[in-house]
Amino acid sequence: MAASLFENMLITGARYITNGSVHFVGFHWPMVMARVARRLHAPDAILVYENGIVEDRLTSVFPTSPCDLVAAEGATTCATSLDALYMWLGSGRVRTTLLEAPIVDRYGNVNTTAVGPYAKPKVRLPGSGGGTELGSIGHGLVLVNASTNRRSYPERVDYITSPGYLEGARERAALGYKPATGPKVLVNPLGVCRFDENGEMYLAALHAAVKLDDAKGSFGWPVRAGEVEALPEPTADELKIVREELEHAKRRYYLLPEA
Amino acid sequence: MREAVARHVPDGQELLIGGFAFSDPTALAHELIRQRRRDLFVMKTSGGVLVDQLVGAGCVKRLLSCHVWNSVGPVAAHCFRRALEQEKPHAIEIEELSYGAFTMALMAGACDLPFMPTTPVQGAGHFTHRGFMPNKFGVVQDPFGSGPVCVVPPLKPALGFFHVHRADVYGNAQMFGPTGEFRYAMAACRKLIVIAEELVDTERIREHPEATVAPGFMVEAIVVEPWAAHPTDAYGYYLRDLAHHALYGEMTKTEEGFQRYVDEWVIGTGNHAGFVKKLGAERVAELTVRERHW
Repeated sequence: MAASLFENMLITGARYITNGSVHFVGFHWPMVMARVARRLHAPDAILVYENGIVEDRLTSVFPTSPCDLVAAEGATTCATSLDALYMWLGSGRVRTTLLEAPIVDRYGNVNTTAVGPYAKPKVRLPGSGGGTELGSIGHGLVLVNASTNRRSYPERVDYITSPGYLEGARERAALGYKPATGPKVLVNPLGVCRFDENGEMYLAALHAAVKLDDAKGSFGWPVRAGEVEALPEPTADELKIVREELEHAKRRYYLLPEA
Repeated sequence: MREAVARHVPDGQELLIGGFAFSDPTALAHELIRQRRRDLFVMKTSGGVLVDQLVGAGCVKRLLSCHVWNSVGPVAAHCFRRALEQEKPHAIEIEELSYGAFTMALMAGACDLPFMPTTPVQGAGHFTHRGFMPNKFGVVQDPFGSGPVCVVPPLKPALGFFHVHRADVYGNAQMFGPTGEFRYAMAACRKLIVIAEELVDTERIREHPEATVAPGFMVEAIVVEPWAAHPTDAYGYYLRDLAHHALYGEMTKTEEGFQRYVDEWVIGTGNHAGFVKKLGAERVAELTVRERHW
C-alpha cells in the first residue's frame, strides 16, 4: 500500500532530525518522528525533553509523552526544567526544535490554548506547557501540523500560545526575541512550508500526490507558493519503519488518524 | 493523608501541588475530594488528570497552571473543558503561565528575589490576558543594553504538597530521575509537606545526599503513601498507568460518567490503600519497576 499523506508527513519531519546533533522534542507526533529518524538515519541523535531528560539512544518502549518516564530508561542525564528550557534550549545548544502546531496562522503563531474568545472558549485546549518556550527561544524551529483542514490554518489564531512572527518578523525582533529563533519550517501532510523575510508562511515543497491548487485550499489566507519542490516518495524501508512505530504508538494508547 | 488534609487544607486554601505529569500526587486530590474541599486556589504546572478531578468535583475556585490535559491519546481533560466552556459544575477562574515562566516565578520565590527574567512572551496570549494575577508579567529594559526583557514576580505559595520518592523522619526528602521544576517549587512554598512512597532510615538518605530535593529543615510534615502518584509515574518505583489514564478519559466524557468514576474510585475506595487494592495485585505487579539504580 502506498504511503498516506500522514505517513509522508512523519517521514518528511523525521528528515529534520540529524545524526549526532541536539534536538528539543515536544509532545505528540514530533516524538514519533524522532523515533523514526533514530531507526533510519539518526541513531545517534540527542533528544532533550522539557523535564530535563537527555535521551541519546532508542528506548525499548515508546514514551507517550516527554514525561512518560520510560523516556528516562538508561538516560545519560536526568536534570530539571531550568536545564532543559534555559541551559539547553534558550542558550542555543539545541540545534533543532520540534513543536506540534495543531492550529497555526500566516505568521507561524501557534494556538494550543483556546478557540473562540478566551473568557468563554468554544473549544478549550490544553495550554502552553513548554510550548511557549519552544516558539519563543527555540533555535531551528520545525512546526508540525497533522491536519489539512482550513480551520487548522486561520489567517490569525484566536490565542497565541507559542509565538511565531506575531504580526511580522520586525515586530518579533522589536519585542526582545533573539535572532535565529522563530519558526523556520512547517511540516504537514501536504508538504513543507517555509517563512519569508517578513515571517510569512509560504508553500515550499509538496508530497508527490499533492496538487498545488488543492494544497492552497487548506490555508485560511491566500498562501503564496515559492518554487515548489517535489518531496521524494518514501522508500519501502522508510515506510516499513513508520508503520512499525505507528503500531507501537497505538499500543501505547496513541490515537491515530483514520485511514 | 486524611489527617494532613484535615489539618492543613481548609476550604479556600491556596496550595501548590507538585508533579509534572509524573509524580503527580493523585492520592492528595482524592482525599481533597473525599473531604469535600471547596474554593481552593490550586497552582500546578502541569494539571493532568489530577487537576481535572479536582475541577470536576467542584473543589477549585482558582487555578494557576501552564497545561491541563490527559497524558494519553491525547484525549481531553474533560472536566477542565466543561468548566471553562460550559461553567459545569461551576465556573473557575484561570490564570496561565508558560512552563518556563512558571519555573522562573517559582525560582524568584524560592530565592526571595524581586523578579526573574524569563522567556520573551510579549504578543503571546498569556502575556495579554490577565485574570486574578494582573502582575504576572512585567517588562523591563535590560540595564546592560540588550532591549526589553520579560520578567515574572516571585511566586510564594502558602502551602505546597509534593510527591517524593523517599524521606526520613526528619523530612529529608529524595527524588531520583528528572525533577522538572520541583526543587525550586518546593523552596518557593512557605509551608511544605512531602508525600513519600516510603519512609527510610537517615543512613540510607546519606548514601545519596545528591538526591535530596528538600532538606529536612524545609519540610513541615511527611505523609507516607505508597502509589500516591498513580496513574502518573514514580521514577524507579512504578510506570505510568496508560490504561487507567484511558479509562479516566473514557469515563469522564460526561458529567455522569465523572460522577461514576468518583463514586467508584475515590469515594468507594475509602482511602488510598483502598484505591490500590481496587487496582488489583496484577496491575500493581505489571506497573512496578523492578530495577533500581540506587
